[in-house]
Amino acid sequence: MADKPTDFIEQYQAFVRQGVEAWAKQLDPKTAPAESSPVTDVMGRLFAGLGGFGDWMRSIAGGEPPTAAFTGGMPPFGHGPGVPPEFDDWARAANDTLSMPAFGLTREQQEEQQALLRAWIDYAGHYQRYQALLQGVHERANAALREQAPPTDADSMRSVYDRWVNLAEESYAEAALSEEFREVYAALVNAQMRLRVLQQRQVERMAVQAGMPTRKEVDSLGERLQAARRDLRHMQGLAAEVAALKAEVARLRGARVDVKMAEPNRSKRKPAATAKKVAAAANRAGGMKAVAKTKAASTASKRAATTKGKAR
Amino acid sequence: MSMPPFPFDPERARAEVEAFRRKLEAGLETLKRVGPIELGITPREAVYTEDKLTLWHFKGEKAPTAKVPLLICYALVNTPWMIDLQEDRSMVRNLLEQGEDVYLVDWGYPDGADRWLTLEDYIDGYLDRCVGVVRERHGIEAVNLLGICQGGVFSLCYAALHPEKVRNLVTMVTPVDFHTPDNMLSHWARNVDIDLFVDATGNVPADVMNFAYLTLKPLRLNQQKYIGLVDILDNPKEVENFLRMEKWIFDSPDQAGEAFREFARDFFQKNLLIKGEVRIGGRRVDLKTITQPVLNVYAEQDHLVPPAASAPLGKAVGSEDYTALAFQGGHIGIYVSGRAQKQVPPAIHAWLADR
Repeated sequence: MADKPTDFIEQYQAFVRQGVEAWAKQLDPKTAPAESSPVTDVMGRLFAGLGGFGDWMRSIAGGEPPTAAFTGGMPPFGHGPGVPPEFDDWARAANDTLSMPAFGLTREQQEEQQALLRAWIDYAGHYQRYQALLQGVHERANAALREQAPPTDADSMRSVYDRWVNLAEESYAEAALSEEFREVYAALVNAQMRLRVLQQRQVERMAVQAGMPTRKEVDSLGERLQAARRDLRHMQGLAAEVAALKAEVARLRGARVDVKMAEPNRSKRKPAATAKKVAAAANRAGGMKAVAKTKAASTASKRAATTKGKAR
Repeated sequence: MSMPPFPFDPERARAEVEAFRRKLEAGLETLKRVGPIELGITPREAVYTEDKLTLWHFKGEKAPTAKVPLLICYALVNTPWMIDLQEDRSMVRNLLEQGEDVYLVDWGYPDGADRWLTLEDYIDGYLDRCVGVVRERHGIEAVNLLGICQGGVFSLCYAALHPEKVRNLVTMVTPVDFHTPDNMLSHWARNVDIDLFVDATGNVPADVMNFAYLTLKPLRLNQQKYIGLVDILDNPKEVENFLRMEKWIFDSPDQAGEAFREFARDFFQKNLLIKGEVRIGGRRVDLKTITQPVLNVYAEQDHLVPPAASAPLGKAVGSEDYTALAFQGGHIGIYVSGRAQKQVPPAIHAWLADR
C-alpha cells in the first residue's frame, strides 16, 4: 500500500523526468547515437505535454487550481530573452539614471545603451501585462470547472482533464478575440522587436569596429541585387515584346514587298494579269488589315470564349 | 482560489495512471523503431527550377484524361506535402486517379538571399513563369489553377492580373475577408508594427509562425495532443501517421521578409483584397476582373481560415459561374481525412470536367 494516496502521480512524474533525461542524452553530441532517430524532435514536445498532464493531476488531486497552462511561451518567438524576477526593482531604480544626458566622445554609444536598457524595462512591463492577462484566462477556466457538476469518483482523471482543457480553450478563445488581448499581445511583440533592433544596433557597432561585415550591409546588397533582378526581368519582358513586334513588322514589310513586286512599273498601265495580281496583293494588303481585325476579332473571340466558358 | 479536491478513488486513479505510464513505456519502444519519415509520396519530376522554387509534374499510374493541366499553388507558410502526405492520404494521388494532369509550385525554403522577394516577385514573377512553363509544355493559352490557403490568395491575385492565362480557378481554404470577427490570427496581427517586426527579424523564422499557430489552441496543440499520442503508441501505423503530420507541421520554411511585410500589412491588417485595393507590382488587383469559372472549397471547422473569411469570394469575383463547396472538417482535415479523400478530389475533378 502506498504511503500517500497521490504517490502514483509522483511516480508518473518521475517516469516523465527520466524520459526527458533520456531524450536530452539523445540530443547531447557526446552521447547521441550516430544516426539520430526521426522522432527525436517529437520527444521534447511529447514529454513537455506529458509533464503538463502530471502537473495538472497533482494540482487537481490536491484541490489546487491546475497550474498555469498558457504561460509556456511568449510571442512572437515562443521564448524571449527572459526577465529575471529581480529585474523589475532594478529597472525602476535604474530608470531615472537612464534618462540622464550623455556627454563626451562616447555619448552616442551611451545613448544607445540607455535606449537599450529602457527598451528592456518597457519589454518587461509588457511581458508582465501579458502574463497577467493569461492568468486571468486561467482563473476563468478554473472557475468554469468549479461551476460545473463536480467530478465523481466514477470519472477518470483523463475525462476530467479533457473537460478542463475544453473549458480552458473556450476561456482562452474568448479572451484572445478581445480588444484588450489584441492590444497587449501587439504591445509585447512590438516591445520585443524594439529591443531586438537596439540589440542588433549594438552588435553592428561592434562588428564595424572589428572590421567585420554586418547584417545591415548584407541586407543592403541583397535589396539592391533583388531590385536589379526585378529590373532585368522587366527588361527581358520588354525585349521579348520588342522582338515580337519586330517579327510582326518584318511580316508586314514582307507583305508590302509582295504588293510592290506585283506592280513593277507604276507609270505604265497594268496588264490585266498584273492587275489581278495587284488585286490579290491588295487583298493580301486587305488581309494585313484583316490581320489586325483578325487579331481584334481573335481577342474578341477569346473574350467570347471566356464569357462562354463563364456561362457554362 | 482553491478547488474542491478531486474525489478520486485512490486505487482506481492509481490503476489509471499506472496503465497510462505502462502504455507510454511500451510505446517509447515503438517510437524508437520508427524509420525515416518521408512526405511527398507520389512519383514526380521537376520540370522547372528557379532560385528555391521547383515546379513539379506528378506521374499518375494512368495517363491523364483532362485536356487542361491543373497547376496547384501552395502557401508560403508550410511545405506543400500536406497534399501528398502518404499513400492513403494524398489529394495529388486522388486527383491523378480522377484523370487530372497535376503540377505543383513548391516554393522551397527561403534564406537570407530571398529576404527582399516581394509579392510581385512571387505572383508576377515565379508563379507567372510556372504558368508559362505549363502553358508551353501543353501548347495551351490558359491553365486550370488551384490555390491553397495563402496560395489561394496568390491565385486570386494572379487570375485578376492575368485572366487570359487562367481557364478555371479553384481556391481551397482561402481567406478573402481577413477581418471577420472569428479570425484570431488576423485579430492578433492588427496592432503589430509590421514594419518594425520585419526590420527586426529580416526573414520571419518558421518557429515564429509555428508558435503563432500553436497558440491559437495552446492547450490542445501543446499538451492534450501528446497525451492523446500515448493512446496510439501501440499501433505503429498510427504512430507513423502522427509523426508524418508532426514533421509537416514543424518542418516549415522561413518567410521572405518583404513578402511577409506586404502580406501582413495589406491583407491581414488593411484587408485590401476584398476592398479591391491590393496592389501587386503597382497594379491594382480587382477581383471583379475574375470572370472565369471559380470553385471555392472551404472547411466548416477551419480555425485558421474561418468559413466566414472564405465564403465572401462569391460576391467579390466577377464570375457568373461561381460554385462554393463547404467541407465538413478542418483546415488540415480537408486534405488528409478519410472523408476528404473520397469527397474533395472527385468534386474538383467533376467541376473541372464540366468546364
